[in-house]
Amino acid sequence: MTIAARPPRGGASAGAAPAGHATRSARSGRAGVVADIAARRLSDVRAELGGRSYRSLADEAAAYAALPGGAVRPVAERLAAPGLHLIAEVKRRSPSAGAIAADADPIALARAYEAGGASAISVLCEAHWFGGSVADLTAVRRAVTLPILAKEFVVDERQLPVLRATGADLVLLLACILPAAKLARFARLARELGLEPLVEAHDERELEAALATEARLIGLNNRNLRTLAVDPEQCLRLRTLVPNDRLVVGESGVTDPRMLVGWRAVGLDAALIGEALMRSADPAAAARAFVTAGSVPHDVAAEARLPLVKICGVTDSEGVLSAVRSGADAVGLNIVPGTPRCLTLTEASWLATLVRGASPAGKRPRIVVVTADASPAETRAAIAAIDPDAVQLSGNEPVAAIASIGRPVWKVLHLPDGASDAASVAADAIAAGRAYLAAGAERIILDTAGGPFRGGTGRLIDRGVAAAVARELPVILAGGLEPSNVAEAVIEVPAIGVDVSSGVEQNSSTGRSRAPRAPGSRPRKDPLRVALFAKRARAARFDRPHVPVRPTPVPDALLEPDAQGRWGLNRDFGGRYVPETLVAALDQLEAAWRQTRHDPRFWAELRELQFHYGGRPTPVYRADRLGAEVLEAARGLADERQDRLPDRLRLYLKREDLNHTGAHKLNNALGQVLLTRRLGKSRVIAETGAGMHGVATATACALLEIPCVVHMGVEDIKRQAPNVLRMEALGAEVRPVHGGSGTLKDAVSEALRDWVTNVETSHYCLGSTMGPHPYPMIVRDFQRVIGDEAAAQLMAIEGRLPDMAIACVGGGSNALGLLNRFIGEPSVRLAVAEAAGEGIGTGRHAAALLGGTPGILHGSRSYMLQDPGGQVIEAVSISAGLDYPGIGPQLAALMEAGRLVVSSATDVEAIEAMRQVARTEGILAAVESAHAVAALPGVLARTAAEGGEPLPREVVVVLGLSGRGDKDLAALGLREAAR
Amino acid sequence: MTAIVAPSTTAPPVAPAGTNDTAGARRIAAAFARAASENRAALIPYVVAGYPDHETSLAAALAAADAGADLLEVGLPYSDPLADGATLQRATSAALRAGATLERSVALLRSISAARPDLPLVPMCYANQILGGGDGRAVAGRLAEAGAAGVIVADMTPDEGARFEAVARELGLAVVYLIAPTTTPDRRVAVARRSGGFLYCVSLVGVTGARTSLPPSVRGLVAAAKADSPVPVAVGFGVSTPAHVRMLVRAGADGVIVASALVDALGPDGHHVAALSRLVGELRAATARPNART
Repeated sequence: MTIAARPPRGGASAGAAPAGHATRSARSGRAGVVADIAARRLSDVRAELGGRSYRSLADEAAAYAALPGGAVRPVAERLAAPGLHLIAEVKRRSPSAGAIAADADPIALARAYEAGGASAISVLCEAHWFGGSVADLTAVRRAVTLPILAKEFVVDERQLPVLRATGADLVLLLACILPAAKLARFARLARELGLEPLVEAHDERELEAALATEARLIGLNNRNLRTLAVDPEQCLRLRTLVPNDRLVVGESGVTDPRMLVGWRAVGLDAALIGEALMRSADPAAAARAFVTAGSVPHDVAAEARLPLVKICGVTDSEGVLSAVRSGADAVGLNIVPGTPRCLTLTEASWLATLVRGASPAGKRPRIVVVTADASPAETRAAIAAIDPDAVQLSGNEPVAAIASIGRPVWKVLHLPDGASDAASVAADAIAAGRAYLAAGAERIILDTAGGPFRGGTGRLIDRGVAAAVARELPVILAGGLEPSNVAEAVIEVPAIGVDVSSGVEQNSSTGRSRAPRAPGSRPRKDPLRVALFAKRARAARFDRPHVPVRPTPVPDALLEPDAQGRWGLNRDFGGRYVPETLVAALDQLEAAWRQTRHDPRFWAELRELQFHYGGRPTPVYRADRLGAEVLEAARGLADERQDRLPDRLRLYLKREDLNHTGAHKLNNALGQVLLTRRLGKSRVIAETGAGMHGVATATACALLEIPCVVHMGVEDIKRQAPNVLRMEALGAEVRPVHGGSGTLKDAVSEALRDWVTNVETSHYCLGSTMGPHPYPMIVRDFQRVIGDEAAAQLMAIEGRLPDMAIACVGGGSNALGLLNRFIGEPSVRLAVAEAAGEGIGTGRHAAALLGGTPGILHGSRSYMLQDPGGQVIEAVSISAGLDYPGIGPQLAALMEAGRLVVSSATDVEAIEAMRQVARTEGILAAVESAHAVAALPGVLARTAAEGGEPLPREVVVVLGLSGRGDKDLAALGLREAAR
Repeated sequence: MTAIVAPSTTAPPVAPAGTNDTAGARRIAAAFARAASENRAALIPYVVAGYPDHETSLAAALAAADAGADLLEVGLPYSDPLADGATLQRATSAALRAGATLERSVALLRSISAARPDLPLVPMCYANQILGGGDGRAVAGRLAEAGAAGVIVADMTPDEGARFEAVARELGLAVVYLIAPTTTPDRRVAVARRSGGFLYCVSLVGVTGARTSLPPSVRGLVAAAKADSPVPVAVGFGVSTPAHVRMLVRAGADGVIVASALVDALGPDGHHVAALSRLVGELRAATARPNART
């Protein structure tokens, strides 16, 4: 690439700018305006600095750094804090944008940015094209306390010490104007001066050169500096190529704060924003909006998925403080004699005191003292000196040793190296782990074996073995973890925590190639790597709700469908029974779903909508009066087995009625309509029974501007008129379905016909966990937020999971939404209440499980109401939302496997329960949800009657209040008249 | 950094043998061969069992047979026919109201079979009617015993059909599969290989129902199906006029299936058997292949 030196247009003085509008590459030649700028900079710098040596300039920089106010302001650890941070830029004009703010006062702007929460300020230093100057940089530095980025075109190494001496803390280095060797050299020189280099790339070739330097900050620029064209997806694409031990800054093209939600989710650590801030009328507010958008949202369900982080082998105060600052859940103090990180008892005791003192109130890391084959006397002495929260046994301690320790025990299992038989290694580890847990150990840590010391070798455990063990036992994963590999580890292995020692130490400048330990020196933690490790480990799971994160003994067949969409121990429920015409669309939907369900950006953006638009999370509310009446009714039913009933029922209502649109349906509708965009479809079809799914879909389509058609049976239209009006008010077209019985099943059939006919343009937004694969999985994936939240909320309130989860069930969306989280937890009983209509014995009901038989309905094999000839029988229920003759295949699978208690309530009982909930708690529950309330006394009585484990004396039950009952007031009224 | 799970493929598993080597498939093949030897496509009318009532549907079936059917499809009425448009929905509802049951439909097949033993019968139904919660042996056995040569299950693709094919093989029944304009080329090959007797080529993206015109793309679809299929290709959905039939024959179809148009021909009360007979005759005349160019 030739850098042709060109004089500026229109003026001889150094301060004159060429015409400020965009200089396209056509005018500047193939190399673009950036080459012009670089060339001009080179000649200017040579003119300014004359024959001055690098050495003399470096001395000046050192002198500056020694002055008060001259010391470098560190930025890396700020960016390694959770979330995406703002680097706010001061810039008067640019080649791409022309004049932006010619009269801008950089000091006022910088202060506004600081007030708005920016983490650093970027100051343009280039005069001719950007209207910037080094004087601006110095002035800004004096005005704020934040680190300052010199946004400069560095082409001569002597610019580096000059920038430091004028107050820069970071410096931009462009891979597009520096050949790779020079880029690496400049990065090294910058770091030697204390300047943090931000090495910027726009494409893969430049990124390769950037990654080959020792820079810790990598900038990914959406703008091509040669053509000035901006592609807002470029930094997201390139992010996947940057190892996780670098900090990554996205640049250019950010116009809307909402973009930063996705940027944070894909793992960008900062955004460099200039024009959008410079053009705003209130820069502090604008900065605040960007900072807020990039911050980690408070999401209890997501937080419950995060792995524990243990920083082990801490050897000094800096290590303790960095662990505390990064929010580590545990700190390991090694007292094993002869190991590199071994502390004396005095040192360990002092560090433990520091942990306690330095931690914010109420939240401090657990102090774990690490021993290996210590004698009882040594262990006692360590406990007495250090007062740890737990003792880690890293040697060959037998199971019998656990009981005598006297403190919680964390036991390390060492997996043999070079395992050829992964299955038997895993099996042995599982057996050993179970034995230790049974003997009372609190935690199990998986580590590698071999080397001169047990564990702590920095070698990785075989992922497959680790995953197999973590699936069965709660384990903390150790062995060779570090910032660049921990994210993959916690995605692939359902470990409950991660443990790191050498991976966060100061062995090498990039941390990727680990230098061998010098004998006699004690390794020290690198605060940046500690912070980054914690950040990457947590971020990996925060926006991935479907990655398994804990062990479960429940077979996968009850938790996930196979590739053909079949559920159940015999893999015989579900599947895909559809006309051939729909296969291509279902294949496309499935392929898109398999990608999307693990795409953090999708989930972060959906969460934004659910939280800020939908009103999530929904509360759990303890309904004491209702609970007391329910327990009393259960006593009446249990008769002589009353003694086996609990003394007290803490009944929590999970309030999906408080979701926007008044039911849980929006969780699925928002997700599927967002997915519709990804599929490139331009129209949404839905079916609806009660109208709640129709309203939810119409709502999501109005929000996301996609045309919507809702098929609704004529009978349902009659009994749910308010919902029809709502859908039409939201802009949806409601099409009456006359065929069959004019209810939900016929609406589903008609929606499927619409889809068969319009499959190329339309997405069918199915409302429940039924239908052909992949719908049962997709709808479950969108509704599971209900139970994920409820579990986290109950853990916070009760300190444990509920003893039972119960919900009404029609197709299964609210039931699986609540129950999904608990299927894999054997201590939680699962119950559903079907709609028994006029009574199951009358044949006029909607209870597919209790009153139906296996069959194929609307694309999947499950239980359904049918006559001996296989004709579908109409369901009968006062509740339009449960009035469906089938049920989702996963629920059929759970029932057949004995994992689900199935009960029911009649219309009369449900109406009565509606009244009861209104009277006792002031909540108008939907008649659907009321079925669960009505059935609960019977379910409790049944548990008392059957053998086996009784319920605890103080029982915690969570009930899915799936929707509000305004739509059912008329039904209440009718029954009133009938009474 | 992220582990993206590769999209799963749902192409039908590489063939077990399908059901093309059954007695039923051979009868079907023979019917197509006979038509071919007469230099015409096979005509496959469709009647709804029990519409408008049992006796009339028998009369309609026999009339269709006599007016030139090479094979006869018989629809078994179902409460939730999601592949069917308004015409067939109406007819099947009426049949159910008039008392149609599986029993009576089987009896109908037996009657037709007794009266016209050389006419291969292919009942068409939905998965729940034939499989229900099981492997379909009971119902398929009765269909076979009543004279069916094959069966078409409108909502069962080869992805779900392997178990039923095994049952059908034992009973000597062909299981006919469908391809649609949305079927990908690879899948079309795979489905064709599994189809017994013939391959049902759905002409349009939609449900059943007479159309004024068929989409021009059907020609390409028929040509592609012919290239991929080891068994004869019959085209259905929307076919209602002699012009349609001629177009499909020119496009290379081995057979044409006509359903809703015949139900329409029976008139609003379903009794106009003579009109049905007339229409079948016209359609049959249209199946003649144009003479080869010299």
